[in-house]
Order: sequence, then structure tokens, then C-alpha cells
Amino acid sequence: MSSAAIARPVRFSSLGPYMVAGIVVLFLGTFLLVPVLKVIQVAFQDPSSGSFTMVNFQDFFNSSLFRQSFFNSVYVSGMSVVFASAFALPLAYFTTRFNFSGSVIIQTLAFVPLIMPPFIGAVAMQLLFGSNGSVNLLMRDWFGFDIPFMEGLNGVIFVQSIHYFPFILINLSASLQNIDRSMEEAGQMLGSSGFRLFRRIVFPLAMPGYIAGASLVFVKVFDDLGTPLLLNVNTMLAPQAYLRISSIGISDPMGYVISCILIVFSVFAMWVAFLGMRGKDYSTTQKGGGGLSKRDLRSHEAILCYVVIFSILGIVLAPHLGLLLLSFGSVWSFSVLPDSFTTSHYGTAFTSAWTFIKNTLIYAGLAGVIDIVLGTAIAYVVMRTNVIGRKWLDYLAVSALAVPGVVLGIGYLRVFYGVNMPFTDQPMATWWGIIVIALAVRRLPYALRSCTAALQQVSPSLEEASENLGASKFRTVRRIVVPLMASGLVAGFVTSFSTAAVELSATIMLVSTENDAPLAYGLYLFMQSAAGRGPGAALGVMAVIIVGLATYLSHRMVDRARQQRSSMEQATGDVA
Amino acid sequence: MTTMQSSPVQIDIENLSLSFGNTEVLKGVNLAIRPGEFFAFLGPSGSGKSTLLRAIAGFGPTPKGQIKLDGQDIVGSVPWQRNVGMVFQSYALWPHMTVAKNVAFGLEERKVPASEIGPKVRAALELVGMGDYAERFPSQLSGGQQQRVALARTIVVEPRVLLLDEPLSNLDANLRVQMRQDLLKLQRRLGITTIFVTHDQEEANTICDRIAVMADGVVQQIGRPDEVYDNPANSFVAKFLGTANILEGEVVASAEGKSFDCGADLRIPVDADEATGKARLVVRPESIEFAADGANDSLSGLVASAEFLGGMVRYAIDVNGQELLVDERHTRGKKRMEKGENVALKLDPAQAVLIRD
Amino acid sequence: MSNMVHKTLRHLGTGVAIAAMLATATAHAADDKLVIVTSFPSDLTDVFKNAFMKENPSISVEVVNKSTSSGVKYLIETAQNNQSDIFWASAPDAFEVLKENSLLAKYESSVGGVATELNGYPINDPDGYYSGFALSGYGFMWNERYMDAFKLPEPTEWEDLTKPVYNGHVGISAPSRSGTTHLTIETILQGEGWEKGWQTIRDMSGNAKTITERSFGVPDGVNSGSFGIGIVIDFFGFSSMASGFPVDFRYPSVTALVPANIGVINNAPNNGPAQKFIDFLMSETGQGLLFDPKIMRLPVNKSVYANAPKGLPNPFDGSIKSEVNFDTAVSQGRYNVVNSLFDVMITYRLEDLRAAVVAIQEAEVALAESGATNAEATKLIADAKALLHTLPIDEAKANDPEFAAIFKSKRKKQTDKVEGRQAEIEQEWDDQIVQNYQKAAELANTARFMF
Repeated sequence: MSSAAIARPVRFSSLGPYMVAGIVVLFLGTFLLVPVLKVIQVAFQDPSSGSFTMVNFQDFFNSSLFRQSFFNSVYVSGMSVVFASAFALPLAYFTTRFNFSGSVIIQTLAFVPLIMPPFIGAVAMQLLFGSNGSVNLLMRDWFGFDIPFMEGLNGVIFVQSIHYFPFILINLSASLQNIDRSMEEAGQMLGSSGFRLFRRIVFPLAMPGYIAGASLVFVKVFDDLGTPLLLNVNTMLAPQAYLRISSIGISDPMGYVISCILIVFSVFAMWVAFLGMRGKDYSTTQKGGGGLSKRDLRSHEAILCYVVIFSILGIVLAPHLGLLLLSFGSVWSFSVLPDSFTTSHYGTAFTSAWTFIKNTLIYAGLAGVIDIVLGTAIAYVVMRTNVIGRKWLDYLAVSALAVPGVVLGIGYLRVFYGVNMPFTDQPMATWWGIIVIALAVRRLPYALRSCTAALQQVSPSLEEASENLGASKFRTVRRIVVPLMASGLVAGFVTSFSTAAVELSATIMLVSTENDAPLAYGLYLFMQSAAGRGPGAALGVMAVIIVGLATYLSHRMVDRARQQRSSMEQATGDVA
Repeated sequence: MTTMQSSPVQIDIENLSLSFGNTEVLKGVNLAIRPGEFFAFLGPSGSGKSTLLRAIAGFGPTPKGQIKLDGQDIVGSVPWQRNVGMVFQSYALWPHMTVAKNVAFGLEERKVPASEIGPKVRAALELVGMGDYAERFPSQLSGGQQQRVALARTIVVEPRVLLLDEPLSNLDANLRVQMRQDLLKLQRRLGITTIFVTHDQEEANTICDRIAVMADGVVQQIGRPDEVYDNPANSFVAKFLGTANILEGEVVASAEGKSFDCGADLRIPVDADEATGKARLVVRPESIEFAADGANDSLSGLVASAEFLGGMVRYAIDVNGQELLVDERHTRGKKRMEKGENVALKLDPAQAVLIRD
Repeated sequence: MSNMVHKTLRHLGTGVAIAAMLATATAHAADDKLVIVTSFPSDLTDVFKNAFMKENPSISVEVVNKSTSSGVKYLIETAQNNQSDIFWASAPDAFEVLKENSLLAKYESSVGGVATELNGYPINDPDGYYSGFALSGYGFMWNERYMDAFKLPEPTEWEDLTKPVYNGHVGISAPSRSGTTHLTIETILQGEGWEKGWQTIRDMSGNAKTITERSFGVPDGVNSGSFGIGIVIDFFGFSSMASGFPVDFRYPSVTALVPANIGVINNAPNNGPAQKFIDFLMSETGQGLLFDPKIMRLPVNKSVYANAPKGLPNPFDGSIKSEVNFDTAVSQGRYNVVNSLFDVMITYRLEDLRAAVVAIQEAEVALAESGATNAEATKLIADAKALLHTLPIDEAKANDPEFAAIFKSKRKKQTDKVEGRQAEIEQEWDDQIVQNYQKAAELANTARFMF
């Protein structure tokens, strides 16, 4: 429009992407690559002489314990994907297929398992499903036998699939929503219906989303430390690494070797998923969009659907139910329900909770903001510029998924303890901001996914139109691209925020004073003593409510925005 | 497979109404489509033509009223039991299947023996000229090729009715002309009752036996394309099919008989049995001729503007404040009339149609 | 539409930023501060922190809670730029590690009335780097409802836990994970001797339902009824009882009373307040706080026992029998070897161990029930037991400093060379152990099928 805008320096636009990419690389290099390398270099050192060696890796593959751990990790991850899929598929299908009054609530509730605070989740699960938990006590009373839900690897698979299935649900739902409706109608028209239609047409089309979710579940379970540890399962890779890194006085290089192997194998798994998805991204070839045709349910179908949905939600929300009971229960020991109920735990939790809650909101919020800024920048550089090596930027960011939190935490201590902050003269590693950065780096892959998906939906011609009217690249991104990506960005923010809010593994290494401690750390404190179980659960309930509320509100916001947009389209477009 | 085994189907649509929420999209549609007919639903966006087509296929909300195939009502039955073939506007070829798999899908769903599927798929692809592309994926095909595959996929199951939802709208202009002839040939060969939805009157006119012009969820007029063109039932049809001068006025009786009076100097004689009162007169631009100055019964006016359309020039002539469009055949080197030039027009009353809406 | 979301997003960002600024602005107002790194739960630390700050309003106390092992790790990693003043935890071994790494400063409190030894065993570090502030003994706690439901008798001695009746009902933590468990294991090893001690430990672990990852996992499991009996440090039992759980605790006759410790960190930024805190902890007021129902530890200041709550024994009047004189030097010398041995033989191979132990128990029951004497079966069972109890190394080797060095964290000098790598040795052990367990199970099963 104005000639002033057109008179911008031409060179800027070609250097700009490199500058953005440079900043991102600098950030990820400093806060991901260097700390991780600093930690895993131990894996390549001869423990006796300190010289470079591969002998530790040889030891790893020679050890039957490690081979078994490796096999167990792969088995548990694979089975968790199977069970998580069994939970996610019906929910995704029903909510995208049928007109449900409470579809938003179901989608929000199904998201809640992701926000399971550490420690108490496993305690609650033991109380409900453990060998002497409520369910088994009842089963033994009624039927005279019990089911070992929580024994050994079963328990890990059970808890992990409940915890991580929302990743599949979210990605699969998004894929289903993007299916061109006529794809499905064409199948029906040719005589296919019901499950056959789903198996032959709908599911293959949603496959990219499913693979994305399933690979995420696989990698997360493979790397996850908390759940196997809390269930006292040691013969898996991540606990082996942790046990060997964190034991008193021992610095067995095997811990670092296992960290390396965790990282390499996770990257490998993501690469396989990437290969599997290549050429299968149908979203661009589908013109119509609009998702599956929704229909009303006949009453008996509705009942059946609700039964399925509520039994799944019942299972996946069981840890939260247990948590709730625990927070209101006085003494809960070897009984189906707590002996009596009280609200006093909330009183205890409240007195110490405020600092934790405030810190959590700040840390997770800032981490979420950093993530969507970085995520947008990376997505943009990767998809819309021709910066050399841009794909590697993506890989670098996503590789954070494969880095166990403990490794990152120790790396930060090693790298940043010697660096002092400019004004306070305190070591950088004790600065609360470093917790924010650690959370941001750990959650960046989630946000990046959402940002990439959101950017994919913004046609490049919209940008060209803006540039054609004289807006610079940066202004175009700010005024056109980012607003259009908004709902995707909110989704990314929510995922980062809510999972960061309950993250423990990296933060526990980095908390240097209680005043700077986030909620997960407060929980950890409470869960260290017999009297702290109730207040800890109360704190956990508060955490879930806060994060759940934030999630629900943003869902509502995105949903309303979508409705507004579609009603606008209806007003201007073809109804018929 | 090149000949239909069963005889073509008659489609009767009776009092069909349909709403999306509070929006009434179809308001009591009545139609009878004859067996083997190539029929078009023609109308602008939002007229309800696609909704009507989808209702026949069984998609969308269940309508009120009846849709009968050979007398049997199919309203309420599910799409996969109707055996009604549809080609989607976006073609809806499944990207995860090859062309052959796409085409074989419907046969597999119908439990056709595996040994018969191969030959039938091949025959269908040959029929649409895609025999060499069986192992390609849809993403490797051009728009026109995808269109043909979509057609093959639909006809291979020998549906009772063939529904085409704006099948040509995603093709470029030349291909569209070629394709509509191919469609017509194919339809004639199969003899299948076919409904074609389009907003393009030229498409409808060139290949369809009869058309139903739709607007606002109502069928405005049904008939052969030329009949409808010549005798539009109302001003919407008149305007939607081709270009029309629609003059507002009234029918008055006088000593010389009845005539249509649209004010000023413009009077056109009409049949004596027309009732008097408010009416509109439809005159196609090609029905008005330039006359020699001062000729009998001529109207005089001023040239307001001229558009060169290739085979003809379309003039807008101001006749006492009433603007009339007049087409004049263009021949090589013919001189164009200038703006402001005085002209005389001759209007044959027999070419004018009186409508009341 | 997206505008709305965008706006909200922007508000969100601004809000977070403002909140962040507010958070930084709430800086500390007190003159002095004191940073305590501890493994104790806030139930314990809060009581002392509040009482201390009441007496010394000018000192603001910051508590950094970490498990013993990550606390040590933290202090080692941060030594280059130390910000912590005090390390406060149970396990003397953790302090030994810190001492060895020159991370502790000498301080001996001069508060009167504090015992310096118990039954001839010194409560404080002889070199003065750390001091005991409370005593803890080891024993077992059990869930009464659980015991009723499964009709289990109450155990009194370590050997009781090796009986078949307790199979699958015992919970124990791993010594590599829990400083207190390490002390328990060392107590048994020193009390019963290396060979016999490991035999008890392995038979007991063969009855284990699980090896918990944290020491608190054991009382937690007993409290919730996941398993019936847990091997725990006394205050876990006492505080669980005080919290209302239907549990009970007992010291077996072979036990050691071991001090829980506190020490000043080398180069502490707040050395003065640190010493003040230790003095407070040792004073009668401070020691009296140990009787808080959520804490329930045995004070080292004898004079406060007059006010002890009911049920808390006084170790200085002989109401706890402790036959073991715990040798910290021996314990420290083979610290990592014992941990590694336990993990290889028990933690990581619990399934195999359990299978072998169960097979032997069943064979013995079968033999006893048959009433007959069967020399062959008896021999098979004895062989199985021998295999089960075979140790990869003897006591001399475990105590050999050169061998232990393989498991040591840091080489003192670049030139220090040790033969063999931990992973290599563990793999050797593992091969042998797994084979022995499987063979033992086979033999026992053969014996059983004779009846």
C-alpha cells in the first residue's frame, strides 16, 4: 500500500530466515546439544584412564541384563502403543463420527490423563489396581481370584498406556477431522459401511495422524523413567540408566552408555515412523476436508456408545479418581475405600501450595510461550524458506523427545553451574529461569508438532498476497500467518503447558531453593512421608484442576473460533 | 459390463423437503426422471441442487417426502444399500489405493468373486480410457484422469442410477468440452438413468435430455433445454438461462387489442387471451433487430455501450430510459456503432414471452 | 476468529511475563540466609525450620529437598560454585562420600548433654566432619489388616522373614537406592557375618514381593497394603503409626542403632548460621522436636527422654537390644561392592531368585509332608540351597580396597589405574548368578517331584 513499506531493503528478506534459524540453532545448541553431549561423553571414556574408547558399548551388548532391559523396554513400549490405541480409537472415532452433546467435555477429559502428576499417580493406581487394591480386594471377595494388573511389566504397560494414549487420540482426531467427507461417502456409495468402511477407507486415511501419535507414545514410553521406577520395575533401559547415574558415589559409565542408546534408539524409532509416513500425508491431496459426516445416534446406539466411552474414560481416569479419593480419605490401607473422609488434607496442602502453584504457572506458562515462538519459527523456516539444512533444525528440536529428563538436568548442572548470572552473581544453574528453559526444551517437540500442522493449513498464497501488498516477511508472518495459525498455536501451548506443569525429572535436578520449586517438586516432598500422602494427593488434585481448566478453556476458545469460522463460511459459501 | 443387465430406472421425487437445522434447503421438490434419461439439476450456489443429489444417494439429513426408484421409496435406507452411483466433485479417489484398487473396491464390497473382479476392473478402466493407469496412485494422475477413474469406480458396480456432482468443475475449459461429450457417449452406451448437477447452463444444455432449474430449494422449471430457454416460467429462469431483457410493465387492453405497456413509448402487442394487469416481458437480445430508420413499428433509442463477444456484438440501447440488450451478428470488417448513435429497433412480438411472477 | 485466539494468546503471554517479574521481585528480606540440602521430608524439616527461624528471626532458612543420592550428586556437581551450607541426611555413608570428596567442613558442636557414643559406638564422625543428631534402628513394620487377611504371624527376627509363610508378602528397598537400606544390609552382614548374612538377605529377598526404588517405597507399600511386611528404618514405622495407619513396628534382636547426621559444607557461603543451626538442633529444644508425631526419631541428647511419647524406646537405657557394633570403616570400604552385589543378585534378578527360593521351599514342604526320609531328595535340596547361596566373591575380596576401586567414582590421579570395569565384573557375576538360580530351581523341582 504505502510506498514506504515497499522500500524495505531487499537483502533483509533473504538474510532474515538465516538469522531466525541461527537464533534457534544457538538456543538449541546451548540448551540441548551441549548439555547432552557433556553428559554422554562419559560413555566414550575409559573408566580407568579417561581416554576415548568404545569398550563401554561393548560391555553393554555383552551384558545379558542390559539386553533383557532393552528387550523389555521395546516390549513395554510396543504393548503400550497397542493398549493406548485400544483406548484412543473408539474415543476418536465416536467423537468425530457422531453428534455428541458432550463431545468437547469428552475430548477434554480424555486429555486429562496426560496431566498426571508424578508419584501420586502410581500410588493411586496401586491403591485401585494393585494386588491388594480396591479392584482386586473386591474380585477376591466376589470371585475368589485376582488379576495382576500392576505386576511387573504389566503394570508399566497399563499405567503408560493410560497416561500417554491422549497423544494418539489428539493426533488421530485431528487426522479424522481433516478427511475429505466425500472419501467416506464414496465408500458408502459403493456399498461399504460400518467397521469395514472404517478399516478400509477411514483408518488408512487417518494413518499419518495415527503413526504420529503412536510413535510419540512409543518414544515416550521407551524413555520414561518415572513409571517403571515407581512400580519398582528395574529391568528396563531408562531405570537402568537412572539407577546407574544417580547412585551414591558411583559413576558407572554404563548409565551414560544407556542414555546414549536411549537417545539413539528413540531417534531411530522416530525416523522409522517418519519413513512410514512419507508419501502418506494425504491432507494436501484431499480437497474437500470437513471430516467424517456426523450423524445422530439412535437411542440404543447412543447407549452403547456411551457405555463404551464411559468405560474407557472410567479406566483412563481411574488414577485421577484414586487421587481424589486419596486426597479426601483419612487412612486408606488394605481396603476398598478409605476408612473415612476429611477435607483437612486440602488445608495442609493450601498452606504450602501457593508458592508451588504460582511457580508452576509461571514456569509452565513461560515454557509454553517459548515453545510456540520457537515452534513457529522452526516450522516456518522448515516449511517456507530454503535455508540450507533446515530439515536438521526440525530434527534437532524433535530430538529433545529422545533425551531423558535426568540427562538434561545433569547436563545443565555441569554446563551452567560455572556460569554466573549477570546481575545477581548467582550460578546460572540455580537461576529459576533455567528450569523454564529446561521445560521449554523438553516440551518443544510437542509444540512444534502443533505449529507445523497449523502452518500446513495456511496456504502460501495468503502470504504471497500480503507480500504483494508490500508487507515484509516478518510483518507477513506476524499479521497474516500467526493469526491464521492461532488455534494450532493454542493447542501447542496447551500441550506444552499442561505437560510441563507436571514434569519432574529435569526439574528435580535443577531446583535449588524451595521458593523456586514447582508443583511437581512439592508433590515429591509430600510423598516422602506417611503423613504427606493425603496433602500430596490434595496438591495433585489442585494441579490437575488448574491444568485441566486451562486446557478446557482453550478447547472452548478454539472450538468457538472454529464455529464462528464455519458459520461465516456457511453464510458466504455454498450450503448445497 | 458394457451393457446394463437390468433395464434403466425411473426416478420419482415427491414432495421432498429437507432442512439443515433451521435452514430449509429443499422445499417440496417434485420431479419425475424417465428411465435412461440424462437429466440435469441446474442452479446457482445455494439453490439446493447438490443437497437434492446427495439426498438421492442417501447422504445428509433424512428428508421428508419420497424418492422412488421404479416406484420403490428409498428415503431412510442407508447409502450402502441403495446401489446408487455417485461421482464426487472432488472425485474422492482414495489416495492410499492404486487406481485398480479404487475401482475394485465396490466389487469387493459386493462380494463379487475374485476371479471376476480383475476383468471387470480392466473393462471399466478401458471404457473410460484409463486402461494403462491401473497401477498408478491417484496423486500421480491429472485432474481429467482422476475424473475418469472416479467414473470407472462408480460404473463398475453397475449402479441403478448415476449421479454426477459438478463433475467438470475442476477441469480446464478445453478438457471440459471434451469430457462432456465423453460423458454423454458413455451414458448413451450404458443407458443408465443419470443426473448431472451443474451451475453451468452451457454444460446442461449441451448434453442433457432435460433439465430442472432450481433456486431457493424449489424446482423452478423442468423441460428440454431449448424449451426452457424459449419459454422461461419466470424471470429467474429467464435470467439464469442465457441473457434476457426483462421489461416491467402491465398488460393493457385498447382498441387495437391487448398490448404490454412498459411506460413511455414502448408497447408490444400480446395475445388477446392474456389477462390484463402487472406482468413482465422477456425478450432475448438475439430476438431484437436493428431496423432501418423510421421503419414501421420501430423503436428508437441511443447506443449506450457495446461489448464485442466474438461471434456477435452486444449493444445496450437506451429506449426512453429503458435499457435493452441487443445482439447483432458480427461478420468480418463490420463497423461497430458508436456510443450515442441513434438507432431504430425492431422487436418481433412472437419472440417475446410474457411472464407473471 | 483467529484474531480472538490470537489476542487471548497475547494476553496470556503478557500475563505470564508480568507474573514472572513479580516472582523475581519478591526477593528475600532477611539479613542472613541458610541453605540446607536434605533428604528428610518436609514433615521433619518444616518443624525445625520454623522453630529455628523463630529463635533467629534474622536468618532465613531455605530447604532444598533431594533424595540422599541425588543430594550427594548435587553437591558434587555444584562444588565448583557452592551455594549450600548444610547437608542433612540419615545415611553416614553419604557423609563419608562427601568427606572423601573434601566437600565437608569440620564443625563440632559444644552443646551440653549430647551423647557421643552408644554402646561404645561413636555417634559423631571421629574426624569431626559430621555429627549424629538422632538415632535410628532397623526393623520391620507390618500392616495389621494385611496380616489378618492373609493370616500371617508377626515376625520377630530377620530369619522369620525367610520362612515360606511370608513368601510374596515382604517389601524391601535396594541398598544402592536407599542409604537406610544399605545400613540395614550392612547391619545384617556385620551382625551375622558375610556368608550367613547374605544367606539371610537372599532368603528374605526370595520372599519379596518387590524391591522398591525408594526407601520410602517400603513404608508406603506397607501403609497402602501392597505388601504386608517391610524392612524399614524405625521412624518410618513410628511416623506411619502416628499418622493413623494400621501398622506396627518391631526391632529384631540383631540391629544397629545408627545416627542420622548433619554436617557443614566446605566453603559454605553462610558458615555462621550453619553452625548456629547445628547448635540449635543439638540443644534440648531442638532434640525435643524429634518427638513430633510426624518425626518420631530417637534423640542423642539423653536429657530429653523424660518427655518421650509412649512407645518410643530409650536406647541409652538398654530398652533396645543392639548386638551389632556397626563398623563404619568396613561399611564405607565395601560400600559400592555391596550395593552392586545386591543389585546383581537380587534387584535385577528377583524373578529368578524368587523362582529358586519358592522351588526350594516347596520341595522342603513336600519332603516334610511325606514323613519319609529320602536321602536323594535331601541331597538335592541341599545342593539347590548351596547353589542359591553361592556368592561370587568372598568377604576378603569385597573388603579389598583395590577391588573396590573398580566401583569407585573418581580416580584420584590421572595415573591411577584399576583393572577391570564394573560392567565387565557385573556381567560375570550375573552369568554365574542366573545360572545358579536356574540350576537351584531345577534341582529343587526334581526333589519335589519325587513325592
